Amino acid sequence: MHKIIFNTLRTALIVLMVLSFFSCSRDDAFSNLSDTLFVRHKDADMPAYIHGNGSEKVFLITLHGGPGGLGLGLRGTAFKNIENTYAVVYFDQRGSGMSQGGYSENEINIDIMAEDVLALVKVMKRKYGSDSRFFLLGHSWGGTLGTAILLKDQNEFLGWIPVDGTHNPKDMYREYIANFEQVANEQIELGNSIPFWESVHDLILDVDITFNRNDISRLNSKAFEAENKLANDTIINRPDGSGDPFFKYNLMTFLWNIRNIQSIIDPDIQGILSYTNRLSEIQIPSLILWGKHDMVVPILFAQEAYDNLGSIDKKIVIFEKSGHVPMTSEANQFAEEVIRFIDQNK
Amino acid sequence: MKKISLLLLLFSFSNLLSQKQLSESNTIITELDTYSFIDKTEFKFGYSGNLAWNNGLNIGAEYLWQEKVNTKERKGKQKRVTHQFLLDANLGFTTNFSTKTDTGVFTNYGLIWRRTNTKGKQFSIALNPLGYYRSFLPETYEVNGDDVNKIPLPGRGFYAPSLSIGLGKLRKGKKLTGRYFNINLMLRTPYNAGTLPFISFQYGYRFNFKKKK
Repeated sequence: MHKIIFNTLRTALIVLMVLSFFSCSRDDAFSNLSDTLFVRHKDADMPAYIHGNGSEKVFLITLHGGPGGLGLGLRGTAFKNIENTYAVVYFDQRGSGMSQGGYSENEINIDIMAEDVLALVKVMKRKYGSDSRFFLLGHSWGGTLGTAILLKDQNEFLGWIPVDGTHNPKDMYREYIANFEQVANEQIELGNSIPFWESVHDLILDVDITFNRNDISRLNSKAFEAENKLANDTIINRPDGSGDPFFKYNLMTFLWNIRNIQSIIDPDIQGILSYTNRLSEIQIPSLILWGKHDMVVPILFAQEAYDNLGSIDKKIVIFEKSGHVPMTSEANQFAEEVIRFIDQNK
Repeated sequence: MKKISLLLLLFSFSNLLSQKQLSESNTIITELDTYSFIDKTEFKFGYSGNLAWNNGLNIGAEYLWQEKVNTKERKGKQKRVTHQFLLDANLGFTTNFSTKTDTGVFTNYGLIWRRTNTKGKQFSIALNPLGYYRSFLPETYEVNGDDVNKIPLPGRGFYAPSLSIGLGKLRKGKKLTGRYFNINLMLRTPYNAGTLPFISFQYGYRFNFKKKK
């Protein structure tokens, strides 16, 4: 009797060992990644949160908005859908989110921030293997940063996805005014939120015609307000709020970081920086994703990006019911477009 | 004229009252030399964090440096107010459990001023200018040019002074001799390109190893 029990136990143990060996295989571990890595580069420690299916070692590196936004702020319905097929890397940029470090104000600029992302690529290759492949996606300010990265080194990436991205902050001021005027007239004609759109008219009359730092802040705030009104009037879908990272980031640290980094970066960018004339240097496949009713980075810049990018393989997709964040207002279509683009170019 | 006389009368009366109070108040500076180290030291432990993001523990010690006791007779009752200066030492741990990207150990040293009233209610201000915060990061790689190296025990040190303001209560005759609730502001510097303010709550208990008389 003892022998039977012993033999059964021994067999069960061997089976368990074999099963656990296979369950710990690297392929399985790669198919459901949930890692947090820090990249130390030029006196900054920056977290990268890697989630999703890395079985093909295809990684979509995302660049948040801001500057001073949150990497995991993008991790809503759309990106979770993408994670089912490919691994997504959410990165807290220098001076943002939970990044920490000790450096002077001179050591925080778009050039160093672009190098940070190229450093992230090196870390990813070290961690997941040199055969890893990368796509780059930048939302809003991430579109500025992404462009700067690709102008430094596009060989590391198989594709570029600007999402409502600002490759041309220099002309934003002028376009804010033009776009506000057009949308305000359209909405008043439709009878939507008339008092608000009249206040937009008042604002346009009140701001300087040429770039003014205070006025661009007012226009930017009004743009977010305007998208809220467009959502109230069902012109756009209300963002689903699925990317809310409230418990992932200390609110006080986030607010302190965003105030700090914007006060350092914005004076070098707003009304000054434009990559439009250099977009032709970017020749990797590109997918331009934009909300038709984007009030924060108006749709004119989508067409400008499409017309000027040097890629032979490029596509523009306009989300009809979206503003500045199509990934949360038309999440499923957004995910489908990204997955299709990666499928075609991986 | 009547008004002036009334005012003069009020002034003289209030003066008389204050003189009476002064004559009845008694301030005693406690002779601490006769106390042993253990008698003068209290230990504390408690929660430290801000509930939503960072949570942790804090332990520490408070060494009584100076004490002044004011006693007053008012309306037939004796009021006793104690003012203390204590040397303060703390050691704490904090983490954000959701991503573990804000984990650290801190220690700070300084001075507490504390007022305790007759009912044992306390008000404290603690200034700890000597502070250090050491963050502990998850898997970290350093990039220098094309070199990528994994860092052992990754993290970063910050100068971290702190200021606490809090309320408390003496618990006479109990093993845990007091409880406290503080709001704490800790600065971490240099943090990115500046100084990070970090606000937390501290709730805990004090105890000592005094011999019961």
